[in-house]
Amino acid sequence: MDIPSNKIVVFHCCNLRLFPEGGQKEFLKAWPDLNLVSIPCSGKIEAHFLLKTLASGARGALVLACAEQACQYLEGSMRSRKRVDYARYWLEKIGIAPERIEFVRIWPVSKQALEALLKEFVLKLESLGALGAPEKV
Amino acid sequence: MIVAELKEIDEIRKMIDRYSSILVVGCDSCVAECAAGGARETQLLAAALKLSYLKDGQKRVISEACLDRQCVDDFIDGIAEQVPEHEVILSLGCGAGVQALARVYTDKPIIPALNTLFIGETQMRGVWIENCLGCGQCKLGYFGAVCPVARCSKKLMNGPCGGSKGGRCEVDPEIPCGWDLIIRRLEAIGELDRLGEYVPPVNWSTSHSGGPRRVIREDQKP
Repeated sequence: MDIPSNKIVVFHCCNLRLFPEGGQKEFLKAWPDLNLVSIPCSGKIEAHFLLKTLASGARGALVLACAEQACQYLEGSMRSRKRVDYARYWLEKIGIAPERIEFVRIWPVSKQALEALLKEFVLKLESLGALGAPEKV
Repeated sequence: MIVAELKEIDEIRKMIDRYSSILVVGCDSCVAECAAGGARETQLLAAALKLSYLKDGQKRVISEACLDRQCVDDFIDGIAEQVPEHEVILSLGCGAGVQALARVYTDKPIIPALNTLFIGETQMRGVWIENCLGCGQCKLGYFGAVCPVARCSKKLMNGPCGGSKGGRCEVDPEIPCGWDLIIRRLEAIGELDRLGEYVPPVNWSTSHSGGPRRVIREDQKP
Protein backbone atom coordinates (compact mmCIF):
# COMPACT_ATOMS: atom_id res chain seq x y z
CA MET A 1 0.00 0.00 0.00
CA ASP A 2 1.36 3.42 -0.95
CA ILE A 3 1.84 5.99 1.79
CA PRO A 4 1.50 9.71 0.89
CA SER A 5 5.01 11.12 0.45
CA ASN A 6 4.76 13.65 3.27
CA LYS A 7 4.02 10.99 5.85
CA ILE A 8 6.22 10.03 8.75
CA VAL A 9 5.57 6.62 10.22
CA VAL A 10 6.16 6.14 13.92
CA PHE A 11 6.40 2.55 15.16
CA HIS A 12 6.08 2.48 18.92
CA CYS A 13 6.03 -0.17 21.59
CA CYS A 14 2.49 -0.41 22.97
CA ASN A 15 3.93 -0.62 26.48
CA LEU A 16 5.15 2.95 26.15
CA ARG A 17 1.51 4.06 26.53
CA LEU A 18 1.97 7.27 24.58
CA PHE A 19 -1.43 8.63 25.56
CA PRO A 20 -2.26 7.29 29.02
CA GLU A 21 -5.00 9.86 29.54
CA GLY A 22 -6.35 9.73 25.99
CA GLY A 23 -6.02 12.57 23.49
CA GLN A 24 -4.48 10.61 20.60
CA LYS A 25 -7.06 11.96 18.15
CA GLU A 26 -6.34 15.56 19.12
CA PHE A 27 -2.61 14.90 18.94
CA LEU A 28 -2.89 13.50 15.42
CA LYS A 29 -4.96 16.51 14.35
CA ALA A 30 -2.01 18.68 15.34
CA TRP A 31 0.36 16.30 13.50
CA PRO A 32 -1.55 15.38 10.30
CA ASP A 33 1.54 13.93 8.61
CA LEU A 34 2.03 11.33 11.30
CA ASN A 35 1.10 7.63 11.08
CA LEU A 36 1.27 6.02 14.51
CA VAL A 37 1.75 2.26 14.41
CA SER A 38 1.50 0.48 17.74
CA ILE A 39 3.46 -2.79 17.95
CA PRO A 40 3.48 -5.35 20.80
CA CYS A 41 7.16 -4.66 21.52
CA SER A 42 9.74 -2.56 19.68
CA GLY A 43 11.63 -5.85 19.23
CA LYS A 44 8.89 -6.81 16.76
CA ILE A 45 10.28 -4.29 14.29
CA GLU A 46 12.18 -5.77 11.37
CA ALA A 47 14.56 -4.04 8.97
CA HIS A 48 12.30 -4.87 6.05
CA PHE A 49 9.31 -3.12 7.69
CA LEU A 50 11.35 0.06 7.78
CA LEU A 51 12.66 -0.15 4.22
CA LYS A 52 9.17 -1.03 2.97
CA THR A 53 7.80 2.00 4.78
CA LEU A 54 10.17 4.27 2.88
CA ALA A 55 9.73 2.36 -0.39
CA SER A 56 5.95 2.86 -0.03
CA GLY A 57 6.43 6.61 -0.04
CA ALA A 58 6.95 7.76 3.55
CA ARG A 59 9.70 10.34 3.98
CA GLY A 60 10.89 8.98 7.30
CA ALA A 61 10.35 6.27 9.90
CA LEU A 62 10.80 6.58 13.62
CA VAL A 63 11.00 3.69 16.09
CA LEU A 64 10.12 4.49 19.69
CA ALA A 65 11.31 1.92 22.22
CA CYS A 66 11.33 1.53 25.97
CA ALA A 67 14.54 1.93 27.93
CA GLU A 68 16.58 -1.28 27.75
CA GLN A 69 16.06 -2.06 31.45
CA ALA A 70 12.33 -1.31 31.15
CA CYS A 71 11.66 -3.73 28.26
CA GLN A 72 8.93 -6.13 29.38
CA TYR A 73 10.28 -8.75 27.01
CA LEU A 74 13.85 -8.28 28.33
CA GLU A 75 15.64 -8.18 24.96
CA GLY A 76 13.10 -6.39 22.76
CA SER A 77 14.47 -2.88 23.06
CA MET A 78 18.02 -4.14 22.48
CA ARG A 79 16.97 -6.11 19.41
CA SER A 80 15.02 -3.24 17.87
CA ARG A 81 18.14 -1.05 18.13
CA LYS A 82 20.12 -3.66 16.15
CA ARG A 83 17.41 -3.96 13.53
CA VAL A 84 17.13 -0.23 13.06
CA ASP A 85 20.92 -0.10 12.68
CA TYR A 86 20.69 -2.83 10.04
CA ALA A 87 18.00 -0.90 8.12
CA ARG A 88 20.15 2.25 8.30
CA TYR A 89 23.13 0.26 7.03
CA TRP A 90 21.02 -0.71 4.01
CA LEU A 91 20.01 2.89 3.35
CA GLU A 92 23.66 3.86 3.40
CA LYS A 93 24.50 1.12 0.91
CA ILE A 94 21.75 2.34 -1.40
CA GLY A 95 22.91 5.95 -1.11
CA ILE A 96 19.99 7.28 0.94
CA ALA A 97 20.61 9.23 4.14
CA PRO A 98 20.33 6.77 7.05
CA GLU A 99 18.89 9.59 9.18
CA ARG A 100 15.57 8.92 7.49
CA ILE A 101 15.18 6.08 9.97
CA GLU A 102 15.54 7.08 13.59
CA PHE A 103 15.53 5.10 16.82
CA VAL A 104 14.72 6.70 20.16
CA ARG A 105 14.34 5.20 23.62
CA ILE A 106 11.98 7.26 25.71
CA TRP A 107 11.01 6.41 29.23
CA PRO A 108 8.93 7.67 30.87
CA VAL A 109 6.90 9.25 28.08
CA SER A 110 5.41 12.71 28.20
CA LYS A 111 3.52 14.64 25.57
CA GLN A 112 6.21 17.34 25.68
CA ALA A 113 9.04 14.85 25.18
CA LEU A 114 7.18 13.21 22.29
CA GLU A 115 6.53 16.54 20.60
CA ALA A 116 10.13 17.64 21.05
CA LEU A 117 11.58 14.56 19.44
CA LEU A 118 9.03 14.68 16.61
CA LYS A 119 9.91 18.30 15.90
CA GLU A 120 13.59 17.41 15.81
CA PHE A 121 12.93 14.51 13.44
CA VAL A 122 10.76 16.63 11.13
CA LEU A 123 13.47 19.29 10.95
CA LYS A 124 16.04 16.65 10.07
CA LEU A 125 13.80 15.25 7.32
CA GLU A 126 13.11 18.72 5.95
CA SER A 127 16.84 19.33 5.67
CA LEU A 128 17.14 16.10 3.65
CA GLY A 129 14.39 17.06 1.18
CA ALA A 130 12.15 14.69 -0.73
CA LEU A 131 13.13 11.04 -0.98
CA GLY A 132 14.36 10.37 -4.49
CA ALA A 133 16.39 13.56 -4.87
CA PRO A 134 20.19 13.16 -4.61
CA GLU A 135 21.23 12.95 -0.97
CA LYS A 136 24.42 13.46 0.95
CA VAL A 137 25.27 10.24 2.75
CA MET B 1 21.55 -26.93 5.38
CA ILE B 2 22.94 -24.78 2.59
CA VAL B 3 24.50 -21.55 3.87
CA ALA B 4 24.55 -18.50 1.62
CA GLU B 5 24.89 -14.74 1.82
CA LEU B 6 23.32 -11.89 -0.05
CA LYS B 7 25.33 -10.31 -2.85
CA GLU B 8 26.14 -6.62 -2.76
CA ILE B 9 23.27 -4.55 -4.13
CA ASP B 10 25.54 -2.95 -6.77
CA GLU B 11 26.33 -6.37 -8.24
CA ILE B 12 22.63 -7.27 -8.28
CA ARG B 13 21.75 -3.93 -9.90
CA LYS B 14 24.33 -4.47 -12.63
CA MET B 15 22.64 -7.76 -13.54
CA ILE B 16 19.02 -6.56 -13.45
CA ASP B 17 19.23 -2.94 -14.63
CA ARG B 18 18.31 -3.93 -18.18
CA TYR B 19 14.88 -5.23 -17.14
CA SER B 20 11.80 -3.14 -16.38
CA SER B 21 9.86 -5.69 -14.29
CA ILE B 22 11.51 -7.89 -11.70
CA LEU B 23 10.09 -10.74 -9.64
CA VAL B 24 12.13 -11.22 -6.46
CA VAL B 25 11.71 -14.84 -5.32
CA GLY B 26 12.88 -16.11 -1.93
CA CYS B 27 13.23 -19.63 -0.59
CA ASP B 28 11.91 -20.39 2.89
CA SER B 29 14.16 -23.39 3.59
CA CYS B 30 17.94 -23.44 4.17
CA VAL B 31 18.59 -19.86 3.09
CA ALA B 32 15.84 -18.62 5.40
CA GLU B 33 17.57 -20.31 8.35
CA CYS B 34 20.82 -18.54 7.54
CA ALA B 35 18.97 -15.21 7.14
CA ALA B 36 20.03 -14.82 3.51
CA GLY B 37 17.04 -15.60 1.31
CA GLY B 38 13.85 -16.27 3.31
CA ALA B 39 10.63 -14.28 3.31
CA ARG B 40 12.15 -11.49 5.43
CA GLU B 41 15.20 -11.07 3.24
CA THR B 42 13.05 -11.22 0.10
CA GLN B 43 10.96 -8.31 1.37
CA LEU B 44 14.09 -6.47 2.44
CA LEU B 45 15.79 -6.83 -0.94
CA ALA B 46 12.64 -5.92 -2.88
CA ALA B 47 12.21 -2.76 -0.77
CA ALA B 48 15.92 -1.93 -1.06
CA LEU B 49 15.77 -2.25 -4.85
CA LYS B 50 12.67 -0.05 -5.02
CA LEU B 51 14.46 2.61 -2.97
CA SER B 52 17.62 2.22 -5.03
CA TYR B 53 15.77 2.83 -8.30
CA LEU B 54 13.73 5.64 -6.73
CA LYS B 55 16.95 7.35 -5.65
CA ASP B 56 18.26 7.10 -9.21
CA GLY B 57 14.99 8.45 -10.63
CA GLN B 58 14.31 5.23 -12.51
CA LYS B 59 11.06 3.31 -12.68
CA ARG B 60 10.85 -0.44 -12.20
CA VAL B 61 8.04 -2.84 -11.39
CA ILE B 62 9.31 -4.94 -8.51
CA SER B 63 7.18 -7.73 -7.05
CA GLU B 64 8.06 -10.38 -4.51
CA ALA B 65 7.18 -13.97 -3.71
CA CYS B 66 8.62 -16.65 -1.48
CA LEU B 67 8.55 -20.39 -2.12
CA ASP B 68 8.79 -23.03 0.58
CA ARG B 69 11.51 -24.71 -1.48
CA GLN B 70 13.03 -23.40 -4.65
CA CYS B 71 14.64 -26.72 -5.57
CA VAL B 72 11.44 -28.81 -5.88
CA ASP B 73 9.10 -28.50 -8.86
CA ASP B 74 5.91 -28.88 -6.81
CA PHE B 75 6.81 -25.74 -4.88
CA ILE B 76 8.22 -23.86 -7.89
CA ASP B 77 4.75 -24.01 -9.46
CA GLY B 78 3.68 -21.59 -6.74
CA ILE B 79 4.89 -18.57 -8.75
CA ALA B 80 3.58 -19.79 -12.14
CA GLU B 81 0.96 -17.02 -12.34
CA GLN B 82 3.36 -14.21 -11.45
CA VAL B 83 6.21 -15.23 -13.74
CA PRO B 84 4.65 -14.20 -17.10
CA GLU B 85 4.05 -10.68 -15.75
CA HIS B 86 7.76 -10.08 -15.21
CA GLU B 87 10.81 -9.91 -17.46
CA VAL B 88 13.24 -11.48 -15.03
CA ILE B 89 13.33 -13.53 -11.83
CA LEU B 90 15.79 -12.48 -9.15
CA SER B 91 16.30 -15.59 -7.05
CA LEU B 92 17.23 -15.66 -3.39
CA GLY B 93 17.63 -19.42 -3.56
CA CYS B 94 20.91 -21.30 -3.38
CA GLY B 95 22.65 -22.27 -6.60
CA ALA B 96 20.41 -25.34 -6.85
CA GLY B 97 17.28 -23.20 -6.51
CA VAL B 98 18.41 -20.77 -9.20
CA GLN B 99 19.06 -23.63 -11.63
CA ALA B 100 15.79 -25.36 -10.78
CA LEU B 101 13.88 -22.15 -11.61
CA ALA B 102 15.78 -21.91 -14.90
CA ARG B 103 14.84 -25.48 -15.76
CA VAL B 104 11.14 -24.87 -15.06
CA TYR B 105 10.78 -21.34 -16.48
CA THR B 106 12.75 -21.92 -19.67
CA ASP B 107 11.94 -18.56 -21.31
CA LYS B 108 12.92 -16.39 -18.32
CA PRO B 109 16.32 -15.08 -17.31
CA ILE B 110 17.05 -16.08 -13.69
CA ILE B 111 19.54 -13.93 -11.78
CA PRO B 112 21.09 -15.08 -8.47
CA ALA B 113 20.92 -12.63 -5.57
CA LEU B 114 22.95 -14.88 -3.24
CA ASN B 115 26.43 -16.32 -3.10
CA THR B 116 26.02 -19.97 -2.07
CA LEU B 117 28.77 -20.81 0.40
CA PHE B 118 28.66 -24.22 2.08
CA ILE B 119 26.79 -27.01 3.87
CA GLY B 120 26.72 -26.09 7.51
CA GLU B 121 24.88 -25.67 10.76
CA THR B 122 23.58 -22.80 12.85
CA GLN B 123 26.03 -22.68 15.75
CA MET B 124 24.22 -19.83 17.45
CA ARG B 125 21.93 -17.01 16.36
CA GLY B 126 23.86 -15.17 13.66
CA VAL B 127 26.72 -17.70 13.37
CA TRP B 128 26.82 -20.45 10.77
CA ILE B 129 29.72 -22.87 10.40
CA GLU B 130 30.79 -25.18 7.61
CA ASN B 131 30.78 -28.80 8.72
CA CYS B 132 30.20 -30.96 5.64
CA LEU B 133 31.94 -30.96 2.28
CA GLY B 134 29.60 -33.54 0.74
CA CYS B 135 32.47 -35.90 -0.02
CA GLY B 136 30.10 -38.78 -0.67
CA GLN B 137 31.75 -41.24 1.76
CA CYS B 138 30.62 -40.26 5.22
CA LYS B 139 32.98 -41.55 7.94
CA LEU B 140 31.49 -39.60 10.84
CA GLY B 141 30.90 -42.86 12.73
CA TYR B 142 34.65 -43.25 13.17
CA PHE B 143 35.19 -39.70 14.39
CA GLY B 144 32.56 -39.15 17.04
CA ALA B 145 30.36 -37.28 14.56
CA VAL B 146 32.95 -34.55 13.95
CA CYS B 147 34.11 -34.50 10.32
CA PRO B 148 37.89 -34.33 9.82
CA VAL B 149 37.39 -33.49 6.15
CA ALA B 150 35.33 -30.39 6.87
CA ARG B 151 36.52 -29.41 10.36
CA CYS B 152 40.28 -30.03 10.08
CA SER B 153 41.87 -27.30 7.94
CA LYS B 154 44.33 -29.87 6.57
CA LYS B 155 41.69 -32.56 6.09
CA LEU B 156 43.77 -35.12 8.00
CA MET B 157 42.07 -38.48 8.42
CA ASN B 158 44.38 -40.21 10.90
CA GLY B 159 45.22 -37.88 13.74
CA PRO B 160 46.14 -34.26 14.42
CA CYS B 161 48.98 -32.47 12.66
CA GLY B 162 50.56 -31.34 15.95
CA GLY B 163 50.35 -27.65 15.11
CA SER B 164 47.31 -26.70 17.13
CA LYS B 165 47.59 -24.72 20.37
CA GLY B 166 45.02 -24.70 23.14
CA GLY B 167 42.52 -26.45 20.91
CA ARG B 168 42.82 -23.81 18.17
CA CYS B 169 43.99 -24.44 14.62
CA GLU B 170 47.41 -23.12 13.54
CA VAL B 171 45.92 -22.07 10.20
CA ASP B 172 43.67 -19.57 12.00
CA PRO B 173 43.21 -19.33 15.77
CA GLU B 174 39.56 -18.46 15.14
CA ILE B 175 39.05 -22.06 13.95
CA PRO B 176 38.74 -24.77 16.60
CA CYS B 177 41.12 -27.67 15.88
CA GLY B 178 39.01 -30.39 14.25
CA TRP B 179 41.09 -33.13 15.81
CA ASP B 180 40.84 -31.62 19.26
CA LEU B 181 37.05 -31.75 18.83
CA ILE B 182 37.19 -35.35 17.58
CA ILE B 183 39.30 -36.60 20.49
CA ARG B 184 37.25 -34.79 23.13
CA ARG B 185 34.04 -36.10 21.64
CA LEU B 186 35.28 -39.72 21.44
CA GLU B 187 36.52 -39.42 25.01
CA ALA B 188 33.12 -38.17 26.15
CA ILE B 189 31.28 -41.09 24.57
CA GLY B 190 33.90 -43.65 25.68
CA GLU B 191 34.95 -44.61 22.16
CA LEU B 192 38.59 -43.51 21.98
CA ASP B 193 39.40 -46.99 20.68
CA ARG B 194 37.91 -45.92 17.34
CA LEU B 195 41.11 -43.99 16.72
CA GLY B 196 43.00 -47.29 16.43
CA GLU B 197 41.14 -48.07 13.22
CA TYR B 198 42.79 -47.05 9.97
CA VAL B 199 40.53 -44.86 7.83
CA PRO B 200 41.71 -44.64 4.23
CA PRO B 201 41.97 -41.24 2.53
CA VAL B 202 38.83 -39.92 0.91
CA ASN B 203 38.34 -41.07 -2.66
CA TRP B 204 37.42 -37.76 -4.23
CA SER B 205 36.10 -39.41 -7.39
CA THR B 206 32.72 -39.62 -5.63
CA SER B 207 32.85 -35.87 -5.05
CA HIS B 208 33.28 -32.99 -7.48
CA SER B 209 36.22 -34.56 -9.30
CA GLY B 210 33.82 -37.21 -10.59
CA GLY B 211 31.65 -34.59 -12.36
CA PRO B 212 28.13 -33.52 -11.35
CA ARG B 213 26.67 -36.09 -8.95
CA ARG B 214 23.17 -37.46 -8.83
CA VAL B 215 21.20 -39.81 -6.64
CA ILE B 216 18.59 -42.10 -8.17
CA ARG B 217 16.07 -44.02 -6.08
CA GLU B 218 13.75 -46.22 -8.13
CA ASP B 219 11.39 -46.60 -5.15
CA GLN B 220 10.91 -42.83 -5.01
CA LYS B 221 10.31 -42.30 -8.72
CA PRO B 222 6.76 -41.74 -10.04
